[in-house]
Amino acid sequence: MPRYWSSLALLAATPLFAYAASVDFATEVHPILAAHCMPCHSGKTPQAGLLLTNGDGAKKAIVPGKPEASLLLTRILGEGGKPVMPPTGSPLKPAEVAKIRQWITEGAVWPEMSAKSPASTWEAPIAPRKVALPAGSGHPVDLLLDQYWKRNNVTPAAPIADAQFARRAYFDVWGIPPSPQDLDAFVQSQDPDKRAKLIRTLLANNTRYADHWISFWNDMLRNDIGVAYHGERKSITSWLENALDTNKPYRQMVRELLDPGKEGPDGFLIGVNWRGDINASQTPFMQASQNTAQVFLGINLKCASCHDSFINKYRLAQAYGLAAFFSEANELELVRCDMKTGKIQKPEFLYPELAKGIDIGTTTESRRKAAAALFTHPQNGRVSRTLVNRYWQKLVGKGIVEPVDEMDNEPWNADLLDWLAVDFDEHNQDIKHLIERIMTSRAYQMPTVAPGNKIFEGPTPRRVSAEEFIDTASAVTGEWRTAASGDRAAYVRDWKLKSSPLTRALGRPIRDQVYTTRDDAPTTFQALELANGQTLTKLIHRGARRLLGQLAPPPENLYDSRPLRRGYLPFDTKLNGAQKLWLVIEDAGTYDPAKSRFGWADVEFVTKDGTVKPYNSPTKPEPMLSGGAPLADGAMRLYFNKTVEITVPPGVDRIRGRFVIDDDSTPSDIIATPRFFLFGEKPDMDQLIRVAGNAPLARPQSFEGKSAAEVTRYLFRAVLSRNPSEAEQKIAVGNAQRFDAPAVEDLLWSLLMHPEFQYLP
Amino acid sequence: MNRRHFMQASAAATMAALTGSAPRALAGPGVKKTDAKADCLILLWMAGGMAQTETFDPKRYTPYEPGLPSDRVLSTFPSIPTAVDGIRISEGLEEIAKVMDRGTLIRSHRVGDLGFILHSRHQYHWHTGYAPPQSVACPHMGSWISRMLGPRNPDIPAFIDVGQNLEIGGESDSLKAFHTAGFVGSEHSPFLISDPADAIASTRPSEMIGASRFENRYKKYKQLVEASAAGKYGGEFQKESLMRSLDNAHRLLSSPAAKAFDLGQEKKEVYDAYNTGRFGQGCLLARRLAEAGARFIEVTTEYIPFRFWDTHENGHNRLAELKRTIDRPIAQLIRDLEERGLLDRTLVVVATEFGRDMMVEGKPGLTVKEQVKQPSVMTDIKHYGMHRHFTEACSVLMFGGGTPKGKLYGLTADERPCSIVKDPVTIEDLHATIYSKMGIAPDAGLEIEKRPFYVTKDGKGKPVEGLFA
Repeated sequence: MPRYWSSLALLAATPLFAYAASVDFATEVHPILAAHCMPCHSGKTPQAGLLLTNGDGAKKAIVPGKPEASLLLTRILGEGGKPVMPPTGSPLKPAEVAKIRQWITEGAVWPEMSAKSPASTWEAPIAPRKVALPAGSGHPVDLLLDQYWKRNNVTPAAPIADAQFARRAYFDVWGIPPSPQDLDAFVQSQDPDKRAKLIRTLLANNTRYADHWISFWNDMLRNDIGVAYHGERKSITSWLENALDTNKPYRQMVRELLDPGKEGPDGFLIGVNWRGDINASQTPFMQASQNTAQVFLGINLKCASCHDSFINKYRLAQAYGLAAFFSEANELELVRCDMKTGKIQKPEFLYPELAKGIDIGTTTESRRKAAAALFTHPQNGRVSRTLVNRYWQKLVGKGIVEPVDEMDNEPWNADLLDWLAVDFDEHNQDIKHLIERIMTSRAYQMPTVAPGNKIFEGPTPRRVSAEEFIDTASAVTGEWRTAASGDRAAYVRDWKLKSSPLTRALGRPIRDQVYTTRDDAPTTFQALELANGQTLTKLIHRGARRLLGQLAPPPENLYDSRPLRRGYLPFDTKLNGAQKLWLVIEDAGTYDPAKSRFGWADVEFVTKDGTVKPYNSPTKPEPMLSGGAPLADGAMRLYFNKTVEITVPPGVDRIRGRFVIDDDSTPSDIIATPRFFLFGEKPDMDQLIRVAGNAPLARPQSFEGKSAAEVTRYLFRAVLSRNPSEAEQKIAVGNAQRFDAPAVEDLLWSLLMHPEFQYLP
Repeated sequence: MNRRHFMQASAAATMAALTGSAPRALAGPGVKKTDAKADCLILLWMAGGMAQTETFDPKRYTPYEPGLPSDRVLSTFPSIPTAVDGIRISEGLEEIAKVMDRGTLIRSHRVGDLGFILHSRHQYHWHTGYAPPQSVACPHMGSWISRMLGPRNPDIPAFIDVGQNLEIGGESDSLKAFHTAGFVGSEHSPFLISDPADAIASTRPSEMIGASRFENRYKKYKQLVEASAAGKYGGEFQKESLMRSLDNAHRLLSSPAAKAFDLGQEKKEVYDAYNTGRFGQGCLLARRLAEAGARFIEVTTEYIPFRFWDTHENGHNRLAELKRTIDRPIAQLIRDLEERGLLDRTLVVVATEFGRDMMVEGKPGLTVKEQVKQPSVMTDIKHYGMHRHFTEACSVLMFGGGTPKGKLYGLTADERPCSIVKDPVTIEDLHATIYSKMGIAPDAGLEIEKRPFYVTKDGKGKPVEGLFA
């Protein structure tokens, strides 16, 4: 039984909420003082000359060990006939008073407030540091790690086998498994340099690389497809796609995000906004302060956005100082705990020494330019370290600094981090170079070890992400979903679609916050979605049939109105010999579908020689209005999700008429948005819009007519990158000669749920 | 399925959480199970802003006639007596009137001033206790309860959410933003049932697969995993967690407890007593789930912009319809719980995101941008109703869970503006009351990114004494 399982049993027995024996100043006492005392007992002229913002000042009101003799407590209790402290605002609760009493009893220790533990003296450096590599001819990362392992008595395990390596590499660069043919070619190759070459080949395919890595950036930059909260929010997707496609140097990306100008990705600085009044700590410029600090510097300024932080060394003034680079106004008034302080803060970078020689200026443009210059300053080594650490964590499982958003913490190997960071800088902050650096090391190729070790002994297993999971199902079956843009649809990888209950369950975040890692623990909730959710069931249903050649290509529409919002739209469409028509009405985003009235009117058939035959509505015609006036009397009312089937009279060549929306049925913000399609054959309701372009990956060969054994072998190789064992083959195939679609569905499902698939080797 | 399995599953999640940066428990009193007055919470959510003067806080009635000035009208319905002396409610709620003596009517719930009215933002605020945007992904009340208390019956998801379709067009994304477990972890996500008539389907294998194939598929899957070189790929621990989660899911999908989701099991007369539509069916579903051991069930009349309670026009007629929708089912729910001896330990809360008024948009003295065209003189019946958004006061009903019987809490003025004149109850304090009754301290919480985050805003909610018997 693995050793950690017994500690798990202990965990199950221990209540989840352990009671702390003694008071923790930082999280239990300081907040009370900050909220109730510091507003008056701070600054240059604190009330009654009593400063309660630091230990020295507080000494005046405290007798350590003797709460009953300490002014701090007696005044809170209103003893001795003096006014109760605080004189305004809510009084302290009994629990809070108890905490202060306990703290004084325990000696009233006021520790230095910083993230580091008392024993640690680590100060995260700002400047880059060039590390001299140890002697030797190996990969730089491995040379550095060799020393680390010698120090820690670790013998590094031998690299994983080719098939596992290929699997890891394909997922890490493209987010999908290798196809069986590509896997075979790689495993069978005798080229001694094949692993490094594979990495370069994978990185060289910009589209597949970008399609995978964009999710990392979307999570981190709070970017999503088409999400709106009736407040300002702007997508930066096209900029990001381009940045990844062209392998834009990181410092260029940072520059453009911080100083987008009129054409750049201003969505990042605009942030996530809701209509209405907002808390001072969540204005767009404060969000920008928090986000730029977290994303680029690995610093948490969220606490410091309301008051001096209790959990790290950052102060309110610093959060505002950074925010002032991104605000409209040139200077900002500090608001502490929702109270205006009257203190004004001008733009000031977290590392003021880097600002020498940089003119911050007073306009929005000048300040943003200055921010860009300060973040990308050659002496600002934190930006490189932070990004390098993130990629190390993504590729190897655990950052060199953990957590990855707390870059003030001590790395387990500063030489490794600093060397990689400078190497990154020296290669123009080329992200693909960084990825290659890490992936070509022997360390990357080591077998995985269980997480939780303090000593780095190899990568930790990572779970496939939501997008990788679904894209694998598509890649293996050739069944891709489409995303519409305009009147064309394209086959896309999952990231381009809005989140579904399945992807949300599998960890795709609601990108209101910055996410730099995803929680990948299995949950019952996820399992319900995987076992029984509509999204996956449907994808596998279609996927199995596509693999067996049972899915006909979707019919192309004869006519597509594109979303129609107001008024009317005439149409005149050739029927191309169709003898029956299907009129499909899709809801393209109507605010209030039940309220909308729309239909078509003046519909006529036209024969080849120009004879006109009216189309007779099978239902009683209804008037459609616009501004009270009739738009069409005698319009045939149409409804969402109610397809109309029409027999075409002989000799008819075209159909024409008008689609009409009753504007009077859609007051104010409610905008009916029907989209009308005409088909000459039974439509595929999942693919109404014409699809242009190819699938993101070449489709697998068809398995129509192939034996169950062949299908099994293919699915194992495609999903798990190996052949099935005899025992597995027996279980999967059973007695079947050929698989019907349900059998393929079920086998595919099992393999996608397999721990061997879910966790990369 | 037994408790041990669930505990191990969640312990696995906890283990994973400890090795990552997931929320940690706060030091200090968190869950006080012994103080709980209720084991199950049913939240009946009147989405869209329930007009209080047309429902539970009737004022002077002025009948419609063309030419009537808007500012003369406070209520468009006369009031009726209830089973409690001194409490009258609006005509149309005769059944609820009969069970008024089982609970407390709060007329003084005051919600936050968020500026420009946006329903989903107020709903987010009410359901999470925090107004967005926040620097932390805020959990829904149901997720907090799931996290703090866990499920009662391990085969019934702790957090069940009935009646809201999340793909509604406009404001879909803002709804999704709070229908989430946020940082407490996806294990505590809402189990969504948008149509109660379909509830049984979401707890049974999909029709596309069918029960026997579903079972066989899972059997085969386990055989395949056994046959693979177990432990060679991925650590034991990950494999165990994954298998356990799938096991839980499959048990849930074949559990006899899932019968509770099947409205078809109910006697016809009972079904008909509830069935005023989806909301009524949802109330019946809630009762069955409470009986079967659910922990938190929200049933909503559903938010769709400008629909249901969100009356921007034609308020009077629509309110008549809405009262027909809620009256019988809510009363029947209370009666049925009482009859089964469950009412004492079940907390039922009827609430909404704000009230309505004909003239005031926002709070008196703190009015916000106009969104409704209400003429100063009415010329059409569609002008007759409470169409503006009144964030100063709204009504809340509370039954069970140690709530005083037959009590009126709080008062609003008789004339416009109908501000609160006695015992205002904020969202923080209402939540503190609800959480307390469930056995969770108002300053219970978790630590996320080293920041303490509480079930009530900043841990400052105070349970309202007058709402405890």
